[in-house]
Amino acid sequence: MSDLRTEEYDLNMGPHHPSTHGVCRLLLTMDGERVVKVVPYIGYLHRAIEKICENRSYAMCIPMLDRFEYVTSMSCNQVFSLAAERLAGIEVPERAEYLRVIMLELNRIASHLIFFGTTAMDIGALTPFLYALREREDIIDLFEMTCGQRLTYNYIRIGGVSKDIPEEFTPRCRKTIANITEKVEEYKRLLNGNPIWKMRTIGIGKLDADLALAYGASGPILRASGVDYDLRRDDPYSIYDRFDFNIPIYHNGDVYDRYMIRLDEIQESCKIVGQALDSIVEGPIKAKVSPNFKPPAGETYTRIENSRGEMGVHLVSDGSKKPFRLKARGGSYPHLQLLPEIATNCMIADLVAIFASFDVILPEVDR
Amino acid sequence: MLDYIKGFIELIKGLGITGKHLGMHAVTLQYPEEKDVMPERSRGVVVLLSDKEDGSLNCTGCLLCMKACPTAAIIIDAPRGEDKKRVLKKFELDFTLCCYCGLCEEACNFSALKLTGKYEYSTGDKDDLLWDVNKLQDVGRDVDYEDKRRKKVAKKPAKPVVDANAKVEDKPAKAVEIKPTESADDTKPKTEGEA
Repeated sequence: MSDLRTEEYDLNMGPHHPSTHGVCRLLLTMDGERVVKVVPYIGYLHRAIEKICENRSYAMCIPMLDRFEYVTSMSCNQVFSLAAERLAGIEVPERAEYLRVIMLELNRIASHLIFFGTTAMDIGALTPFLYALREREDIIDLFEMTCGQRLTYNYIRIGGVSKDIPEEFTPRCRKTIANITEKVEEYKRLLNGNPIWKMRTIGIGKLDADLALAYGASGPILRASGVDYDLRRDDPYSIYDRFDFNIPIYHNGDVYDRYMIRLDEIQESCKIVGQALDSIVEGPIKAKVSPNFKPPAGETYTRIENSRGEMGVHLVSDGSKKPFRLKARGGSYPHLQLLPEIATNCMIADLVAIFASFDVILPEVDR
Repeated sequence: MLDYIKGFIELIKGLGITGKHLGMHAVTLQYPEEKDVMPERSRGVVVLLSDKEDGSLNCTGCLLCMKACPTAAIIIDAPRGEDKKRVLKKFELDFTLCCYCGLCEEACNFSALKLTGKYEYSTGDKDDLLWDVNKLQDVGRDVDYEDKRRKKVAKKPAKPVVDANAKVEDKPAKAVEIKPTESADDTKPKTEGEA
């Protein structure tokens, strides 16, 4: 009997595990069901997007960057266009700015709805997934009506947007926004009080503000840990300073707070879209940009607030028609690096919950 | 004990919300039998458009779409003939490469190609996804489009009008970075081809 002992063992979670939301391999060292060590292995979705963009003209980079973070493609379009506009000193028409804000916020809602659905599904509640995707479908229909695509929009261009919104967009958008605001309340009634949901989320995966800041976390994850930081307010771009919206803050930094903050953000984004639809002005939708677009030599780091945190583009131009260097920064990479820190010594089922609550999207990590 | 009762009530509430959906109508479509109506701007397969009257291709072989394509999915071979007019020898579109971004449609000044709402062209054989000019034209025959080209009948007879149009025509051609000599040529085949 003295030979009977326990020992740690290695377990591969992924690359095709459904809860990794992409292709990520987590090498877990397990002690029974307790996780002793987590090592994420990334790179399965590396497509060399940055290098591809160096070999293409500025206009061609936008469809490529659509694939950088495909859940919120609009923000990829926006951050690249913004960077190119800053380099070339292009003034974007007022109407285009409003359209951009409407699209960006709708995209943020769509992304958070996916988060809500998949996180609940990973934790074991299948119903929210069906509800959330049903609501997201309305938003995707709005995008398809405007720019023709459902996922890779290529809508926001350097100097403006590619097409004006069709006539039936505004009434449908208002309806969608009203519906989603109402449905988010229903989601909250559905899950917030649920004792199983509470047990699985409250106090799990606690992330304190210092650690989050040390790792460069941003977006909802940082705000769920009590740091009041949102680029829409703190480093305003586009016309966000014209809208009246709150930035929700939670303080515990656990899975529950990260879930709650996103539901609150959906409602705030609905408010922004409503205000933008009210105050939108008529006018041109695109500044005059030569198709042979050549920004002067220089460099810029431009960042925007994405649904996953800070999304930035470091764009270096040497005055030719192709970018000399493009570095894309997504919010997911630092968040994935946080996983070993806070998932150590938790149960394997909680690891899934923590990973889901970060809302990591792997194409953005691997680029 | 109180927590258990509270929790139980919350569970019943949640169940009520799911129960409410029992009576709701379905949001899904039974796909092969029912089909969704694609929006007008939908970006599906690329087709080549034909002239609304004589059914000939609108394409002049100016290579603008080929140069605008970020994935090099369009392959055009259009050498210049003896009268310096481009003759379209080959137009192929590789749908394994196409990313449906729509930049080719925006680059085209002649309403020669369009991204349509058509889909359902999946196949088991990769070679079937390389469409030649005939297939692209056949699929696009019933596609309605707005003709961006200059109206030919009204403007042909008077000579000064042709000149004025040639100037207007120069602008978009120049803008899409072709050598000045080429862009001047590009307008020619169009005027004559439509005549």
